[in-house]
Amino acid sequence: MRVLIVDDEELARSVVREYLRAHADVEILAECANGYQAVKAITEMEPDLVFLDIQMPKLTGFEVAELAGAKTRYIFCTAFDEYALKAFEIHAIDYLLKPFSAQRFAQALQHARSSLGQAQDIPALLQQTMKSDAPLARVLIRDGSKVHIIASEKIDFIEAQDDYVQVHSEGKSYLKNQRLSELENQLDGSQFLRIHRSYLLNLERLARIETASKDSHHAILQNGQRLPVSRSGYQKLKSMA
Amino acid sequence: MRHQFLYLAAWLLLSALLSVLVNSASNAAWLNSIVFAVPMSLVYAFAVGFSSYYLCRAYPISHQRNRSLLMLLGSAAIISGVSWAVLCTAYNVALHGVEQSWAGIDLAPNLRMTIAVLGGILYVLAATAHYLLAEFTRAGLAERQQLEAKLMAQEAQLRMLRTQIDPHFLFNSLNSISALTTVNPSSAREMTLLLADFFRSSLKVDEQRKISLAEEMALIQQFLAIEKIRFGTRLHIEQEIDEAALPHLLPPMILQPLVENAIKHGIAHLLEGGVLRMRILRSASQLHIVIENDVDADSLPNMANSKAAKSGIGLENVRQRLHTTYGHTAALHCQRHATSFRAELYLPLQSNTPEME
Repeated sequence: MRVLIVDDEELARSVVREYLRAHADVEILAECANGYQAVKAITEMEPDLVFLDIQMPKLTGFEVAELAGAKTRYIFCTAFDEYALKAFEIHAIDYLLKPFSAQRFAQALQHARSSLGQAQDIPALLQQTMKSDAPLARVLIRDGSKVHIIASEKIDFIEAQDDYVQVHSEGKSYLKNQRLSELENQLDGSQFLRIHRSYLLNLERLARIETASKDSHHAILQNGQRLPVSRSGYQKLKSMA
Repeated sequence: MRHQFLYLAAWLLLSALLSVLVNSASNAAWLNSIVFAVPMSLVYAFAVGFSSYYLCRAYPISHQRNRSLLMLLGSAAIISGVSWAVLCTAYNVALHGVEQSWAGIDLAPNLRMTIAVLGGILYVLAATAHYLLAEFTRAGLAERQQLEAKLMAQEAQLRMLRTQIDPHFLFNSLNSISALTTVNPSSAREMTLLLADFFRSSLKVDEQRKISLAEEMALIQQFLAIEKIRFGTRLHIEQEIDEAALPHLLPPMILQPLVENAIKHGIAHLLEGGVLRMRILRSASQLHIVIENDVDADSLPNMANSKAAKSGIGLENVRQRLHTTYGHTAALHCQRHATSFRAELYLPLQSNTPEME
């Protein structure tokens, strides 16, 4: 079994390393000290199992799991996290509470081994654990093994493309594997408005609305871009004005 | 007691008014009017007082039943008004029976009617007064209870603030110890001792008693030594402490949360770690303490995530404790720059002289 150890504290990684020595069939592919390295390593090496710390700089363990995908199995490690524990129980996700014993570690490893390859509903887990939090402050996008973090306020608009969305920000655009309706729910509803089936607009970027014909309107952004506005989108815009 | 007295005074006034009414309506002599009106008023005062009191006790104002309450009140008013008029008539007959010039008046049907109506109105007024009084008492009580609860919560919060150690800190430290036991047993022991010392000192802390800056700094050094083991090379510490400041007093555990915040919300979020700078100066009248740390430029200060919100609460706690201890003579200023966070604390000088103890 090929595993990855992700934790920003060297000592925390060394415990996992030490415990793994007792399991001869396990090969440690790499150790990562932060979420960026982890996303890169997971997408490039495709390990069977990742020991993933939750509290890390820049990207939390959950965000790493969301970005790197559900192909890999995860064992989350945390010192203390009430919300996460509840979510772990609900979704039957393997976790270790620091500090943990060799026995508890072996148990978690055994459980993960027996369920290797089974997809985990990481986005659902994220929803569970982030429920207490305010709207999404940043959108995470994985581009190959690279991760982009885009602050929500820097997004101009988001465009739906089948099961993907195209996030437009500061003249660039990024493809993200998520449904527009899902993203709409996560972002701040007072800042982002669904003006069209395929467009979610950051209202701060809106310059004006133009009437194209009797029943069709266009939203003109501050950078001059022009987006179609549906009839219901127009109603929503009008009710906000 | 005061209420009853006021009530009686009001009715005495009313009895005088009734005398005037009787006097003008029946052309009876003043004495006759008074002999008739005053006893009747007082009798009615007691009857109405008790009756409306029980009414308002038995049927307190509620949002659902106000219509039926009004009907009840109306019928009670009519019944008592009419009863009073009947009683007045009987009394007047009795007065005439005495056959004295000062006793008895000419109680015409009009006057009887007026007395009944007046009785009804007075009943309603008395009941209203009772209801108002009951409401005021209830509101006052609720307010006091609320205040007491608030005070107790504040006290509990203070107690909690003081003893509350971040569970992350505790469990992560224990995890580090767990790791060190095989890799470096002597380090594991050292960290155990540091942790024990830190907890012992923080438990000893007494909110009422100030400690010297030297003691607070000892606590912080223990805390930093532990964090240094956890974070390794990611945590750099720079200190510049004016020796002259050390004997001065301050509330216990007032700097520790700031240092903890600096690491938890600042340096822990940096991939390559960062620097924690502490500078303590003593001027003629003030202690000036600066705690500055590197922060992740991408983490926005107004980011609506729980971590930022929590750190806000931590700072707010320190501010509150300063305010309760020093009033306006102490201050905490926090400034977020692009890549750093700076907390500045100004405290009035207080030294540990024996007279003060």
